[in-house]
Amino acid sequence: MIYREAGQFKISYGADNAFLPVLQDKFLLLIILTLFWIVFPVFASDFAFQAILLPFLIYSLAAIGLNILTGYAGQLSLGTGGFMGVGAYACYKIITLFPEINIVIAILISGIFSSVVGVLFGLPSLKIKGFYLAISTLAAQFFLVWFFEKVAWLYNYNTSGAIEVPTLYISGITVTGPSAESLVKYYVVLSVISLLTILVINIVRGKMGRQWQAIRDNDIAAEIIGIRLMFSKITAFAVSSYVVGIAGALLVFFWKGAAEANLFEIRLSFEILFMVIIGGLGSILGAYLGALFIVVLPVLINVVPHFLGLSIASATVEHVNLIIIGSLIIAILVIEPHGLSRLWLITREKLRLWPFPY
Amino acid sequence: MKYLTKNILFMSFIFMFTNTVLADLNVLNLSYRTGPFAATGIPLMDGMLDYATLLNERDGGLGGEHFNMIECETGYSTAKGIECYSKLKSDNILTVHPWSTGINLQLIPKAGVDRIPILSISYGLSAAAVGETFPWVFPFPLTYWDGASIMLKYIGGYDLSGLKGKKIVLLHLDHPYGKEPIPLFKELSGKYGYKFISIPVGLKEMQNQSAQWLQIRREKPDYVLMWGWGAMNAGAINEAVKTRFNMERFIGIWWSGHDDDLMVAGKKSKGYKALSWNIPGNYPVIDDIKKHVINKGLSKVKNNDSIYRNFYTRGVLMTMLQAEAIRTAQKHFNTSKVNADQVRWGLENLNITQARLDELGMKGMTNPIKTSCSDHSGHHSALVLQWDGEKFSPITDFISPMKNIVRPMLEKAADKYAKSNAPWPGRDNIPCN
Amino acid sequence: MILEQILITPWVDMISMPALFFQTIWEGFVSGVLYSLIALGFVLIFKASGIFNFAQGILVVFSALTLIGLHSNGLPAYIAVVVTLLIMALIALGIEKFVLRKLVNQPDIILFMATIGLTYFLIGVGEFIFGGENKVMITKELGLPNDSWVFDVYDDIIIIQQLDFTTVIVALSLVILLTCFHNFTRMGRAVRAVADDHQAALSVGIHLSSIWFVVWFIAGIIALATGIVWGARAGVSFALEVIAYKALPVLMLGGLTSVPGAIIGGILIGILEKIFEIYWGQPLLGGNTETWFAFMLALLILIFKPQGLFGERIIERI
Repeated sequence: MIYREAGQFKISYGADNAFLPVLQDKFLLLIILTLFWIVFPVFASDFAFQAILLPFLIYSLAAIGLNILTGYAGQLSLGTGGFMGVGAYACYKIITLFPEINIVIAILISGIFSSVVGVLFGLPSLKIKGFYLAISTLAAQFFLVWFFEKVAWLYNYNTSGAIEVPTLYISGITVTGPSAESLVKYYVVLSVISLLTILVINIVRGKMGRQWQAIRDNDIAAEIIGIRLMFSKITAFAVSSYVVGIAGALLVFFWKGAAEANLFEIRLSFEILFMVIIGGLGSILGAYLGALFIVVLPVLINVVPHFLGLSIASATVEHVNLIIIGSLIIAILVIEPHGLSRLWLITREKLRLWPFPY
Repeated sequence: MKYLTKNILFMSFIFMFTNTVLADLNVLNLSYRTGPFAATGIPLMDGMLDYATLLNERDGGLGGEHFNMIECETGYSTAKGIECYSKLKSDNILTVHPWSTGINLQLIPKAGVDRIPILSISYGLSAAAVGETFPWVFPFPLTYWDGASIMLKYIGGYDLSGLKGKKIVLLHLDHPYGKEPIPLFKELSGKYGYKFISIPVGLKEMQNQSAQWLQIRREKPDYVLMWGWGAMNAGAINEAVKTRFNMERFIGIWWSGHDDDLMVAGKKSKGYKALSWNIPGNYPVIDDIKKHVINKGLSKVKNNDSIYRNFYTRGVLMTMLQAEAIRTAQKHFNTSKVNADQVRWGLENLNITQARLDELGMKGMTNPIKTSCSDHSGHHSALVLQWDGEKFSPITDFISPMKNIVRPMLEKAADKYAKSNAPWPGRDNIPCN
Repeated sequence: MILEQILITPWVDMISMPALFFQTIWEGFVSGVLYSLIALGFVLIFKASGIFNFAQGILVVFSALTLIGLHSNGLPAYIAVVVTLLIMALIALGIEKFVLRKLVNQPDIILFMATIGLTYFLIGVGEFIFGGENKVMITKELGLPNDSWVFDVYDDIIIIQQLDFTTVIVALSLVILLTCFHNFTRMGRAVRAVADDHQAALSVGIHLSSIWFVVWFIAGIIALATGIVWGARAGVSFALEVIAYKALPVLMLGGLTSVPGAIIGGILIGILEKIFEIYWGQPLLGGNTETWFAFMLALLILIFKPQGLFGERIIERI
């Protein structure tokens, strides 16, 4: 009943092809946007920004990037961590070589570098498929992390061996560095992510997106009907790595504040892959839901025992964290392999009929 | 609607949680009792925690206030460490022990902003010894560069003339911790005529160092110096024993002197040397800990033999240094409820005399320690311990570092750090007294 | 100058210090054998059920930890081995019942993700029960040798650890036993039938669940053997799980379905990786190339042979 579409009709093709044709969907989106742009910034504490909101936004972007490659184009990639690293290090080099550049511009440019690296390591996909491709992306992952550690030029020969984010300003307001306000960082990240999400949604709903889905479903058939496999696969890697690289730069500059090469190791790749799978392959909403799940879960595990008055050694919390994440992943895969986005769609269907049973 | 209320409720959860204020003297220990570095972490954390418990049980706290050491598990991961710090820094923390050099380096820029002193006791960034540049960081009693100079002194004689023509390998963890002393070794290699080769061990390769030791076999160095931690120590020692390396030529920094690592190879690793600024053994303070803490079941120690060993006793000393700094602050500012700024003053004006050490039941455990406004490390001495197959025993007296060479290098490094992290606040109007 | 360093100096080094060269090859050979052992576990399960069981690495660690844990609680060594095998069997049963059976018709990537989730789960449980610090493998109690043979060659020496030699023997025997099992026993034939075609095997009357259980159990035995020899070499801890990643290029080279492929691929990768690291990696690239060399090598070979050196050529139809 809530989702009853009766009475909503379109009188132009444009309106019919809209992104969210149903009014209730539009309303829901408005609520979510209000929450993120107005409500959270007002009520959230510093801890909430650092532990939940910023990581949620940044990981969602990374998950969107990986979703393009794995969910829409069907090329399984385990190198996400490495590509995020490329974006982060590229951004750092740009900022330190050209200190006058606006940080947002620098971030958008650094995506190009990770895009190039992504395409390079994506070239084998023209010949290799499935698991074998996944393992090739592992080559990218391990090589890139080694590269970040070894090539001291990348981190400006810092003694710490890590990128240290300098204090940067946009029209007088500190946006990065240890003295930046969480609120400012949050708004910058939110803007970048909104922009990129709109971009990606449009790409995915357009011709390229459909080509990618065709390749995912049956690449031989796709080739037969005239889709240029090489071009599509390369663009999939390019766009995906661009988005993922930007996520990496945001991760370091606006959330962590500093980064060692180890930050981008294979654990990160698996985390993003989990988000994509749990959220649902081939769905932008899924990327957000998956990221929300993976980000909020450890916080809950940390906070709930405190609230119930139980004191648990922090080491045990770590272990319990891993156990719960592992079993929940299996549980979700067993119950709903298409992820949380499918759960949302099912809920939506039920809401159309509610409170009636059929 | 439901989504909205759920989120507001959730946010208020978090909001409430982060606004609890604890009333004790809280210090934050970014510990690790799990993961590949747990073997070396656990005895140190145990020592630290037990001395804090002793102060509460035996003395009724520090100046009457409950001394609360908060541990947050990081597994030696830099990302986790920063998370822990961000989560707990608002809980009225007086000092923070980052432990991992990686975490340490990322906290240094934040220390001035959050105004929480960083205690990187004999670890971390060596340049932090320069108090003018790093008012909030304390690497006493000596830094890695001091330690490196002590090693060179031990090998080459007091005037380092014996180093000429020798080949020295630094086997180190491929991590900021292991790479920290490299600049000093490189610069002095030109000056004193020795060949310096640096061999890294990746974090994932700690237990499989056959490639590194094959290279050592190829290079045939005169000495192998080790900057190892966690599983790397045991891996290196095992591999050295396997490839029949002369253990007398194998010297580790004070973090590579853990008894358990050596016990695996047992008698075969006899001759291995490690630097240390504390002497393991039995002391009155350890007896007190046994009486008041372990026998009362308040300790996490699993193996009672470990309390006389190198790392546990060092942990005890580390908490002692912290407690003495807090006491100094309490006396100077005439209040028992000191805050972080006052503790910072206390850390900068530390003066632990031999008499005080005797009072604390730590006679002979370490040397007196003094810090000052410009010198946060004190350039104190260390001695060489040797493994005889069953335990570590000192084979030299305390050797002092080459302060006249190390201090200018530290100042140069501090300058470079400040320049590359401009605008660097430096002392930011904190007076020096 | 640089060209000379890349193209000439390594070969000169190899010839001028033959003892070191041989030692390098031996070390590489031993690591290669260990990689193959892990790859073997993967291959078995993939061959029988088409599942890429990422949890094999953690099963290696888990079995080693269980063994040590049981022994330190008082069980004599060989009994501990048997009990560990039983526990691994139980774990195999549990995995089959709670994870695999529910995911029967899902696409491969979902199964893969499930085994990754399983890995995390077992890491958490393992760290919870056993603690995260490194443990020592009970080599003496198991009768594994600890000494080494030293051969004098010119002015240098070659050291061969008896433990390494034992490892090679153990691995070889496992492979021979497995091959015999597959080819000469009824159960082995049933396993091969299931690997070929599930439906056909069902229709002939083979009980799928028990076959899967047998396969996982054998994989568990291999995991335990691998855990024992790896642990004896380098201590047991969760860092060992990372070594399982190295088995992946081995699988790529040898193909996911070939047992001899796993062995030869493993040995090849082990030796080449070591030689590259000692003669090119450390002098020229600053060392530590073992993290990625195997993967790059496998990637290059895959570009020319997409199914690996020994994999079956897959003929795709629409």
